[in-house]
Amino acid sequence: MSLETIEFTVAGDGRSVSLSRRAHCGVVGSGDLEVLLEPKTADAAVSVRIVTPVKGFDALWKRVVEHFVAETGLSGLSIDINDNNASPAIVALRLRQALAEAQG
Amino acid sequence: MPNWNRLQTNSFLECSARDRAVGLVDEGSFVELGGPFDRLVSPHLVALGEAVENDDGIVTGVGRIGARPVFVISQEGRFIGGSVGEVGGAKMVGIIDMAIDFNDRLVAEFPDLPPSARPLVAISFETGGVRLHEANAGLLAHAEVMDALQRARHKVPVVALIGSRIGCFGGMGFVAAATDAIVMSEFGRLGLTGPEVIEQEMGKDEFDASNRALVYRTTGGRHKYVMGDANFLVDDTVAAFRAQLADLCALPVSSFEAMRRIGSPELVEKQLRGVALAAELKPSDARDVWRHAGNNDPVGLADGPLADFRKSVRRLAL
Amino acid sequence: METLLGQGRAAIDLIVDAGSFTEGTVGARTFDDPDFGPGAVVGTASLEGETVTVIASDAEAFNEKFPVVYSGIIGLEEGYKMAQAVYATLAADAEKAAASKRPIVLIVDTPGNGPGKVEEIFGMNKATGAYQLALAEARLAGHPIVAMVVGRAISGAFLCHGLQADRILSLTSEFQTMIHVMPITSVSRIIKKDVELLEALAKSNPVFAAGPAFFFKLGGVERLVETIDGMRPAIAAQIADIRKAKADKAATALTGPRGRGALGAERGGRTVRPKVQELLRSEFAAVEERFRPRAN
Repeated sequence: MSLETIEFTVAGDGRSVSLSRRAHCGVVGSGDLEVLLEPKTADAAVSVRIVTPVKGFDALWKRVVEHFVAETGLSGLSIDINDNNASPAIVALRLRQALAEAQG
Repeated sequence: MPNWNRLQTNSFLECSARDRAVGLVDEGSFVELGGPFDRLVSPHLVALGEAVENDDGIVTGVGRIGARPVFVISQEGRFIGGSVGEVGGAKMVGIIDMAIDFNDRLVAEFPDLPPSARPLVAISFETGGVRLHEANAGLLAHAEVMDALQRARHKVPVVALIGSRIGCFGGMGFVAAATDAIVMSEFGRLGLTGPEVIEQEMGKDEFDASNRALVYRTTGGRHKYVMGDANFLVDDTVAAFRAQLADLCALPVSSFEAMRRIGSPELVEKQLRGVALAAELKPSDARDVWRHAGNNDPVGLADGPLADFRKSVRRLAL
Repeated sequence: METLLGQGRAAIDLIVDAGSFTEGTVGARTFDDPDFGPGAVVGTASLEGETVTVIASDAEAFNEKFPVVYSGIIGLEEGYKMAQAVYATLAADAEKAAASKRPIVLIVDTPGNGPGKVEEIFGMNKATGAYQLALAEARLAGHPIVAMVVGRAISGAFLCHGLQADRILSLTSEFQTMIHVMPITSVSRIIKKDVELLEALAKSNPVFAAGPAFFFKLGGVERLVETIDGMRPAIAAQIADIRKAKADKAATALTGPRGRGALGAERGGRTVRPKVQELLRSEFAAVEERFRPRAN
């Protein structure tokens, strides 16, 4: 009955699009999530941490975030997610919104 | 941060807690305190394996309206119904305490500081009260908020803004009642016992919780305006709530006493005249009270445009 | 084991000095109408020789005008009547120094606020909200307020009649005292978690389980009282202690809701609360300059 924490890193593809500032997006409603994006200087990798009550979807999370990183060319940031049973489409949407917020 | 100008025309009802907080104060002035990057998640939700939010469902911070520092508390109904637990309650109390402390220090330093430059607290409610996942801690936090409101009396005005989906119920219904001024939209609801519980207690014949019009007639903004519980009834936009809050920001704290509904022996006597009326009228519907207040066509009044309502409504005089 | 649940009037006589309770008189105010707020019992008594205001609930009373009021429920009239008793107490000692203002003893056995349609139409939240504000005002003015839980202290009703006190005492659960927002079975249904799991978790985390012992761990109850005879001396001792705490200008010993907040951290039941408030303070300090009056 504990919350699941999924942590992994995604290597950037070398385009190194970096964030200038941190951003927050979303509300942890049912079927939704919040995303925190924070630039980090230590290395170029993308560190990901997802906290969710739903177990057993580690591979799916990895695929969705890897796709987002590949699509945007981001590197050198951390992605922090609090999830409440969001669908992959919603996850992708919130990630893009958070990025728009960080770049806006 | 969301675009401030675009926020102003948004429906207040549809706004997230953070958008309300940002949009209520002057453009660019809002500084979030205890924001998502502080990761103040509820340890009790973690223990239960429930989804957490980094602000625990309550956005807190400080902004300005003109020269006035406005301390903001804004509740998020989409996160566990805007319920208040240990962290959220501590944030509310912390903000009110800081407003009082800041006021005391400023007044000591600048005895002639005009009212319009002294701190004020604005609370945008969207909550059913105590969070059941951490019910005991939530209940104790409610008592602390009430205590903080009494401490703010005659020092820092506290304004309630109610126009979000969940309304304002349960223990937070007491908190809203205990503020200095209440601003509502017609979509706001204020009460103690939610409609489902009343139905359960009284039976569906007496109170049908699925009857939306009945629910709004009993606790909605128009009704609370007739009763004098809501001081102001505004349009459902961020700009309208903000404009009303800005008007209030011009007033000294002493002017807020006349807007209160409870908080003095005289006000208790006044409310008891309402209770005597309730015993006499035995209203089966809020419409009976509207009629008693001098509104001959309560149905038409309830259904008509808000602007017409504001112009022609007779409010209950106690 | 004996119980005082549902016996608010009997509890008054067991707590105050024998035969000293005068119902319906508080300072200069009298409550003469027997049909007004019958669920609330207010009056004056002496406790170990000192004059105190007593406020309790009568579980056997039924309010004919507001039929949701029975079994100790606090209705519209009851809430305002209790507030009147507090304001009458404030008025009675208005000229006295803070240190000699009379205590208020709340005898707690109430299952809830009036949950009806008429109550919502007229605003139940105002009635018991008014009572909470009156108690907070009296507490801050110096009146020592002690709540003694003898039966049910349930959710919003406890918030009104109890949680604004300086100190809260409770008979232990052997006396069938109940302190909770909801029974754990209802919590289980609503938050969709098994009762067994919740009960197991409650062993290490007292935030959702029902009972005086859990509230003690959270700092929500200062002291548990183990015998009926023990109530009077325990209340008197708290009154003395509250006076000492209030006289201390450094306010090192807090009373009231925020005193219980500090106690919650001390007893390990609510440890996050002070950290959250400290963080808010430090973050505001960093930006405070921006919110100070601007130079012309």
